[in-house]
Amino acid sequence: MLDARARARFVRNRAAVAGAAVVAALLLFALVGPALARHDAYTSDFVNGVSPTGMPVGPGAEFPLGADRIFRDVFARLATGGRISLLIAVASTAIATVIGAAVGIVAGYYEGERAPRLGRLRLDVDGALMRVVDVMLAFPFLLLVMAIGAALEKTTAVTIFVVLGITGWLGIARVLRSKTMQVRALDFVVASRALGQPAARIMLKHVLPNVAGTLVVLATVQVAQMIVADSILSYLGVGIAPPTPTWGAMLFDGQSYIGDAPWLVAAPGLTIVLAVWGFNMLGEGLRDALDPREV
Amino acid sequence: MRSIRARFEPCTAALLASAGVGLAAVPLGCSDALKAPFATAHADVTPMRGGTLRLAHWSDVRNLDPHGQGDAVGNQAVTLLFDGLVDFDRDSHVIPKLAERWDVEDEGRLYRFVLRQGIVMHDGGELTADDVKRSIERSLHPATPSLTRSYFSGIVGFDAYTSGKAEHLEGVVVEGRYVVSFHLKEPDAAFLSIMAIPSARPVCATAGNRFSRGWLPCGAGPFKLQTGGWQRGASLRVVRHDRYYDPGATYLDAVEWTYLMLPLPQRFRLEDGALDMIIDPVFADYARFIGDPRWKTLVVHLAANTIHGESMNTRMAPFDNVEIRRAVAAAIDRDSYIVNRENMSPANQLLPRTIPGFDPSWACPPRDEAAALEHMRRAGYPFDPASGKGGWPRPIPYVVSARSGDEATAQLLQQQLARIGLRLDLRGVSWPAWQAIAERIDGAPMVPWGNQADYPDASAFFDQFTTAAIDPEASNNVAFYSNPGYDAVVARARHEMDPAARHELYRRANDMLCDEAPWAFTWAQRDVVVHQGYVRGFEAHPIWPFDVRRVWLDRGDQALQHALGGGLR
Repeated sequence: MLDARARARFVRNRAAVAGAAVVAALLLFALVGPALARHDAYTSDFVNGVSPTGMPVGPGAEFPLGADRIFRDVFARLATGGRISLLIAVASTAIATVIGAAVGIVAGYYEGERAPRLGRLRLDVDGALMRVVDVMLAFPFLLLVMAIGAALEKTTAVTIFVVLGITGWLGIARVLRSKTMQVRALDFVVASRALGQPAARIMLKHVLPNVAGTLVVLATVQVAQMIVADSILSYLGVGIAPPTPTWGAMLFDGQSYIGDAPWLVAAPGLTIVLAVWGFNMLGEGLRDALDPREV
Repeated sequence: MRSIRARFEPCTAALLASAGVGLAAVPLGCSDALKAPFATAHADVTPMRGGTLRLAHWSDVRNLDPHGQGDAVGNQAVTLLFDGLVDFDRDSHVIPKLAERWDVEDEGRLYRFVLRQGIVMHDGGELTADDVKRSIERSLHPATPSLTRSYFSGIVGFDAYTSGKAEHLEGVVVEGRYVVSFHLKEPDAAFLSIMAIPSARPVCATAGNRFSRGWLPCGAGPFKLQTGGWQRGASLRVVRHDRYYDPGATYLDAVEWTYLMLPLPQRFRLEDGALDMIIDPVFADYARFIGDPRWKTLVVHLAANTIHGESMNTRMAPFDNVEIRRAVAAAIDRDSYIVNRENMSPANQLLPRTIPGFDPSWACPPRDEAAALEHMRRAGYPFDPASGKGGWPRPIPYVVSARSGDEATAQLLQQQLARIGLRLDLRGVSWPAWQAIAERIDGAPMVPWGNQADYPDASAFFDQFTTAAIDPEASNNVAFYSNPGYDAVVARARHEMDPAARHELYRRANDMLCDEAPWAFTWAQRDVVVHQGYVRGFEAHPIWPFDVRRVWLDRGDQALQHALGGGLR
């Protein structure tokens, strides 16, 4: 996707490289962290995890990031939570990207046209899709997640990423629509239409490859937004049920102990900050690398 | 002692982290040091009237109708809004309240209450014997979601009335405008105490004859609901009832609660003088208050009259199998529950220490994991801890109040039961939803539950396991445990007036509960209150968990400024 010149531009952007490094480190941490931890993320240790005052022990050799309020290893839980948080962020972004790209490209392709024909009616595809976007933008996604969670009795990782995915595509659709409007005016698209190629084929073969760079940038930044959204849901108590660790839930659980056990908030809080910063920097670096006019 | 620098660094990290995710309140907790409490304005002064007492709770109030499904949050206000015919003094003795006196006749089968004359209820009406009869009938009506109906089962005509066969409760007789008598089938050692609980308290005529969820609380208590004072899900404000029969009974002008405020901001607001009292701070804050000589005297330990347990629904799988219940009771490590929870102590029997009749020798069998595994084998679900194979084949839903302390202990229970082949599936819901689910016969297989003494007698605890305490929609018997042998023993104990014989009967009942394990008892609770220095007159009541009727405020200028929202310290 990145040609040599784009790669060079990316490498020269130190913030982007740092963001990529942070993202890589977090992925590595999530992948191998649970295996490296000395304790299971789900098991309390009443022998080593409790300080003489009855509080959870702080960071040390036994518990690198301290113990939580029921004396489980914060390091192990952070890494396990990372798997879940990153899985939710990536999976929900994938869903949002697919839906957003489809809606944006179709809407942009038909912008200003009355097509296709449905029986005796001609549908304003762009207008209809964009009004759907407008309505959904007005709908609070937290409410939707809570309603779905209540209907299902229990919120799982699948519930979270599906809901985040089906509510998170709106921005992508709007940007892709604009980008598609630019691309469809290019000569090779006009030529394809003049030759009578089906619209679906033109969108897949000619438009999509030319908006892919934008899509990658949007998706990368979207991952950061999804990490924040997942953390908010967990923090508010409408995320995944305990004992499954999530960064937002760890933040909530630790806040009452911040004066005495600040690691309980610092560990998940800093991790969220790093993850969001990393994906944002990576996304911006990709944007600059793929779009030299913006540099 | 840790250095200031050592404290600062992790706090800075926490501050950066929390700022990054937009949690403005979190960094405020970084200081270990408490602000000084506001001092009382006068060292020696007689109680003075006036002021608003400001309280908070992390949950929402479920109900303010004394006849409906109550809870600890709502009861804080219910005890102010409604008076009973009798009450408990600070030594747990029954004392007159709305009734100026009573007589006991027919060898304990007849209680005749003579009401005080001229008692004005919140709606302006005078309390009469008709109101008492109407209120008790409203409370015991089959359509009322009452958790304590079974307490009154000794009243003549109870069965016919509660089954809908009789229009009125035969055993409650109005003998005059101010005289009402209660006829019992048998002598009842606890009946007078039962007449003090919220579900026996008279309500205004506006309440009508039947329970209604839309009704706004109106009674004969020293405080009344301010018009528009109840914002559901947000706040409650009650103001002094100026026509209360005993004008010197209370000093405050008003009491207000803010609901759904987490413990941490509660502590900050208490320190800042924006709240006057908090109940049950988290352990870290409790340790901070008790370790600070300026605050230590402002910490009040309430009566330890609550018992907690893991309630197993005996009508739902897998707990319809008594061996699995026994396995759970044997598998729980009660000591682990109470680490860093100062207000709890491990308990393995039904009665808390403070209840008359408590006997330490009644403790159920202690934790024994090998015995638990043997019970699993006898249940038909053997489990091999080494391989992790066997056990109950499906996850067991466990409904808990989300974000509560119970959610933390639930995770410990989950770890402990996994070792004997029972996998809990934790489901966090709101506090009111958790209670509603627990009280339904088909609500949840397992819930954490607590029983706070409604009155100071063993029957308040043993009755909740009787068949009579079962209601499909609003059950006080949340294990839905039914054992005719147990019912008979408890009924005999209730009517037994000889203390030694009664004690022996309750021992037998206790043995049955230990053996059949509808609950696995876990811990006893002693709530903690911390108040500002200018809050005077607060004492722990042996029965009412949060009694502020005798509280008065002596705010100095500085505290007053803060109360009115002026300036920061």
